[in-house]
Amino acid sequence: MKLGSFQFRRFSTRLICLLLSLLTAVLAAVFLFISHFNESNAFDHSESNLELGSRVFDRAILQRIESLANSASVMSQDYAIRQVLLKDKPDTATLSSNLKSYTQRVHAPVIALFDPAGQLVANSDPGMDNENRGPFVYMIGQATAQDKDLLTGFAYLKRELHVLVVKPLYAPFPEIAAWFGLAFPINEAFAREIKRVTLLDVTFATVDESGAPRLLASTLPTGDARELLPAVVENARLPARLKTLTLSGGRYVTLFKTQELLGGDSPVTVVLQRPLASELAAARELENIVLLISLAALAAATLAALWISRGVSQPVQQLAAYTRHVAAGDYTRRINLDRGDELGQLATAFNQMTAGLAERDQVRDLLGKVVSPEIASQLLHSGVQLGGEEREVTILFSDLRDFTTMSEKMAPTDMLALLNRYLDRMSSIIEKHGGVIDKYIGDAIMALFGAPVADADAPGKAIAAAREMAAALESLNRELVAEGRPVLAFGIGINTARVVAGNMGSKTRLNYTVIGDGVNLASRLEGLTKDPAYATHILVSGATLRAMKNPPPARELGEVKVKGKAEAVKIFALAPKGESQPPYPA
Amino acid sequence: MISRFTSILAAVSLGLTANAAETVKVVVRTTLDGKPVADAVVSATPLDRPAPALASAGGAQIEQKDQEFRPYVTAIQVGTTVNFPNHDTVQHHIYSLSKAKRFEIPLYQAGASESIVFDNPGIVTIGCNIHDWMIAYIVVLPTPYFAKTDNRGAAALPPLPPGRYRLEVWHPRAPAPLVQEITSAPEKATVLEFSVALKPDKRIRRAPSGKPTDY
Repeated sequence: MKLGSFQFRRFSTRLICLLLSLLTAVLAAVFLFISHFNESNAFDHSESNLELGSRVFDRAILQRIESLANSASVMSQDYAIRQVLLKDKPDTATLSSNLKSYTQRVHAPVIALFDPAGQLVANSDPGMDNENRGPFVYMIGQATAQDKDLLTGFAYLKRELHVLVVKPLYAPFPEIAAWFGLAFPINEAFAREIKRVTLLDVTFATVDESGAPRLLASTLPTGDARELLPAVVENARLPARLKTLTLSGGRYVTLFKTQELLGGDSPVTVVLQRPLASELAAARELENIVLLISLAALAAATLAALWISRGVSQPVQQLAAYTRHVAAGDYTRRINLDRGDELGQLATAFNQMTAGLAERDQVRDLLGKVVSPEIASQLLHSGVQLGGEEREVTILFSDLRDFTTMSEKMAPTDMLALLNRYLDRMSSIIEKHGGVIDKYIGDAIMALFGAPVADADAPGKAIAAAREMAAALESLNRELVAEGRPVLAFGIGINTARVVAGNMGSKTRLNYTVIGDGVNLASRLEGLTKDPAYATHILVSGATLRAMKNPPPARELGEVKVKGKAEAVKIFALAPKGESQPPYPA
Repeated sequence: MISRFTSILAAVSLGLTANAAETVKVVVRTTLDGKPVADAVVSATPLDRPAPALASAGGAQIEQKDQEFRPYVTAIQVGTTVNFPNHDTVQHHIYSLSKAKRFEIPLYQAGASESIVFDNPGIVTIGCNIHDWMIAYIVVLPTPYFAKTDNRGAAALPPLPPGRYRLEVWHPRAPAPLVQEITSAPEKATVLEFSVALKPDKRIRRAPSGKPTDY
């Protein structure tokens, strides 16, 4: 996967990306939830608004009806109309003008008077004819049959939808002398009035028997009202229902309710609407605020992530730099992180580790001084273990002549200083020629060539070292003479033999050394140099010379019997004159 | 009221030969719970011959007292003059828009009295322009044989000469008059029972004032 293999170069980038993506996801989810919630809330709210609007609508109509009924009650007690009606043959023109004056008094656009049988007696509107009389007559009949003193209904008067009210004229109560018929139109003005109270758009429309819709009145723009008509056809003659409609004016939550008409005329559909946009206005504002808060939160999170990542990456970078120093071998530095968290613990651990490394280095250095560097190296690499191996080693023994006698005449510190001066020069020559100081035995030096690291040229190196040692001693003696001190003399014995080499001693303290007859022979050869008959201070065994590829000229001095060995060993002196030429006899 | 009844009875007996008449008593009860119905007007109109003419023009009176008409229901024969004496402390303005008699007696003083002749049969409802609650009924009948039920719902018609009669029972709260044909026979006493489904009494309840009312 490509994404999985993607790696951030920097921890801070990674942290910021992680935090921001998480936060963005959460905020987006919150935002979407709020948006969805707002939408459904707006719909619910519109729904309850519409229900309320529907009740206000009903109430508005009821109030008008009550107002008309009250007006009719007052009119029926009116003295003037009684005076006109008292006549044996009431004057219709006078009555009609009387009713006309009432229309202004009670704010009812239409007032008519009927006799108890339902015959039109007089009318405020001269244009009202028998066709328009019908609904009133029907209502008077119903009211009489049901013994009701108020009846209302919706009907068309002169093609315009009206709410009709019939109310008796009592003379006196409860004697019905005549009926008042009052009406107010359901028109644009009424729709606007309803909208003023409910803030809802109101539309009245009807669908005739043939299915053709007719717009009666609407507060909507004409275009929107026309767009609404198909929905009116769809929802006509059905129980009240709620829909969401999209008109060119936007989305509307819409309530359709059916209003039956008197006498089985095609019912009127009352449409109450609330634009969803106006309901969502407050919600949109909230969403904008949430958006702002989200952006602020993202910015804050970015800063926080930067701060946190700096808090982590800075000490990590510090640790990395420190580690590079340690890798380069600088153990002196200490990292200083003053914090109690995991990074602080890590820094402490680092410091402890560096201290440990420094200590180990020190031990290693010391080891090199106590044992020869080769042995130290072999110990460090192959570990310290008891036991050894058989191998050919050239052993060099050197010893100062009469040093004990000489030392008795000297102060101990002077003696030690002189000894160290001598041993230092000799040791460095041995080491220079690849020899390993096995041990110092007082003024004596035991050195190994070809151990612990095998070396084919070990005998040659031993002989070269011995010669340089002799030269170095002469040089030292010149210094001593100049200082007015007694001179030194030494003897060197060199033998090459197969010996056991390895770590010897106890488990807690051991030495790398070699053991065998060959070692003793080398020591013995050194001892033989004291013999004036040999007149040399370097004795080499025949075995050493034989082991060399290009043996140097040497003078055979005869054979010596070595303790514990059946055969005698030939010995040679390294001398320039009267030398035997190789090959040397065994 | 009793005196008026007596006078009517006297008039009836005068116009007929003795023993030739039948006495008809009517008891009116409510359909719902059988309670006696007062103020019902029972009348008998002869079907075989014209009804006897009004014997005497004078007689009926509806007074105004405590801002009420008394009595509530008055039955008279066509042509009777009714007096409307104002025995109240306030003025009244009596009117009627009923077809049988449209009239008004404009504001007239306490103590004054006006009379109206009712010359058409029918129900005349009278009211007062000043006091909406005042109402009274005058049942103008084309026959001298009528009576009004008392508190026990009983009414006794004047003795009816033999023959067929249209018996009618009317009450302000009855949806329509009850009509029955009877045949009167000499020396007979009949008790007729009627039950009537009354509409609720819708008369205006007067706001409680200082004066006690009749109902």
